[in-house]
Amino acid sequence: MSSADAATDDTAPVVELTGVTKTYDMGGVVEALAGVSLALSEGSYTAVMGPSGSGKSTLLNLIGALDTPTEGRVVVAGQDVGTATEAERASLRGTDVGFVFQTFNLLPRLTAVENVALPLVFAGVPRAERTASARELLADVGLGDRTDHHPTELSGGQRQRVAIARALAADPALVLADEPTGNVDTDTGGRVLDIFDDLHARGNTLLLVTHERHVAERAERIVHVRDGELVRIEDLGEESD
Amino acid sequence: MDPTEAVRIALRSIRSHKLRSTLTVVGLVIGIASVIVFATFGASVKAEVITDIEGSSANNIYVFATPEDDEGFDQVIQPVFTERDVSELEGLSGVTNVIPRGTVDANSLTHGNDTIARQRVTATTPDTFDEGSVVAGRGFRSGANEVVLNERAARSFDGNVTVGDRLTLSLAENRTAELTVVGIVNGTAGQLPVSDFAEQARVYVPVDPFYRTVVESPSVGVRQRAYPQVTVVTDPTTTEATQAAVESYLREESDARQLLPEGATLTARTSGDFVAQVASVIERITRFVTGVAVIGLVVGAIGIANIMLVSVTERTREIGVMKAVGARNRDVLVLFLVEAGLLGAIGAVLALPVGLVVGYAATRYAEVTFALAPVWMVTAVVVGVVVGVVAGLYPAWRAARVDPIDALRYE
Repeated sequence: MSSADAATDDTAPVVELTGVTKTYDMGGVVEALAGVSLALSEGSYTAVMGPSGSGKSTLLNLIGALDTPTEGRVVVAGQDVGTATEAERASLRGTDVGFVFQTFNLLPRLTAVENVALPLVFAGVPRAERTASARELLADVGLGDRTDHHPTELSGGQRQRVAIARALAADPALVLADEPTGNVDTDTGGRVLDIFDDLHARGNTLLLVTHERHVAERAERIVHVRDGELVRIEDLGEESD
Repeated sequence: MDPTEAVRIALRSIRSHKLRSTLTVVGLVIGIASVIVFATFGASVKAEVITDIEGSSANNIYVFATPEDDEGFDQVIQPVFTERDVSELEGLSGVTNVIPRGTVDANSLTHGNDTIARQRVTATTPDTFDEGSVVAGRGFRSGANEVVLNERAARSFDGNVTVGDRLTLSLAENRTAELTVVGIVNGTAGQLPVSDFAEQARVYVPVDPFYRTVVESPSVGVRQRAYPQVTVVTDPTTTEATQAAVESYLREESDARQLLPEGATLTARTSGDFVAQVASVIERITRFVTGVAVIGLVVGAIGIANIMLVSVTERTREIGVMKAVGARNRDVLVLFLVEAGLLGAIGAVLALPVGLVVGYAATRYAEVTFALAPVWMVTAVVVGVVVGVVAGLYPAWRAARVDPIDALRYE
């Protein structure tokens, strides 16, 4: 697999996995990832595909600093996830990584703008400042007129756009998306993916997990995962549109 | 995370479960308010009692013999204070008056056709009547066949007894005395302060000629009247010094010290001593009752802990989201602690007026003057907040430990 090297340009990669193994002890040892190496260069757009149970969620959790590897190294934005303290990983999640979930995961009691500003709350950004940048981000995803609505007052697509705005709140080095179109209809899903294209065009580094081929094809390359192993990296080449 | 934001988020969470939060707070309010009620009521009763005692007789020193092992002041035992002791005590500096007091055994008291049974009457000297306490007439004169009644005694006859009426006192050994009622009083000087509480009917006769308990004075060698209790009235500015002088006289020179039976001791107590004693008894009772009320506070705390645990379970996914967007374990811990502390603080703040109003009602009902117990009030509020935080510790710790991966999968 030489494409991992091909993705590496002159600057250090945003994410670098080296020989990463993750095992869970669930009555017997389950190997969720077995010796995976992968690098995401700055500004790249990568999709991860694989059947359920293939280890793609584990991969996402490790890159998102929600979990630590059993073996190998996971380096995100220059920080080793395996050796970082709990607080360091929290701050990594808050400022270097933005999550977009399949089920949106917005806090129901907070308004759209408060949800978007939430990562900035934990990053210690003053209230006025974070509200201003949250409003701006919501305007960017086309929700400038829905800032004070609660999640229940928004459609699925609107909620996902709020979630995307939240993922961008701390201007992270990397945006992670876990089946971002899984809970919205095809049209809305298309619009969500358009936003990702936009982010890519603006130089954001994206990693998107999906099991849908047409979603994965929006990326620059597709990483195929099966049984905890990285089986193939498919380079889709430069798209010009 | 800045604390105001934690408070804002916690308040929002409390508001989102109005009924649940209200019930939890009500539980705590009941606990804290009952502590305040009992503490306030206790403080009011204490203040009332102290005012009663001090008001009447701050400059009195009560001298009597008590059993050595008894701390109480109700067991006045032997007539040990001789006439000579009385006159010696009168000679001490700072003493304005010495009022001996004894009892005369009696059978009955007759007013016109109305006879009431009476086991004893009080024998004392005219000094016992101060102007303030005489309701009608005057005090008796020494050596005269005169009697003074307190209001309660005057009322105990069918037709009210008034000044100028004649009473027949039937004494022991078939002696009788025809007495003229010369005064009606409302309490007397020289009466033990605690006896104010029991509004007994009292009948006063002059020591001369009615008091016949005599002993031989060891120092003078003649038989003299001897009294079980003597009240030394002092110049109010020197009560303490006089008390010391009285005690030293009793210990070193008095007849009483020689007449004292085995196992008894001589005591000279001021009103202040009584106040301290009564106050400490009331305080002990108050503390006990307040301690019982603290149980309510504990129940309130359990309510908070319970509701916070439910809240942690319900919000597991939310906790996962917060952690995914950068909340540290500590941030989550603080959020839940602040929420629990806020419930406690709200409970405490609401309990304060509730406790004071109910406490006030209780004092009105018991007809004592309302007094505040500020220390207890502050304690109750602080304890409320602390109780909230402590009750929230375990739930908050549970919340902080939530694994974000599991939480995000949690439905």
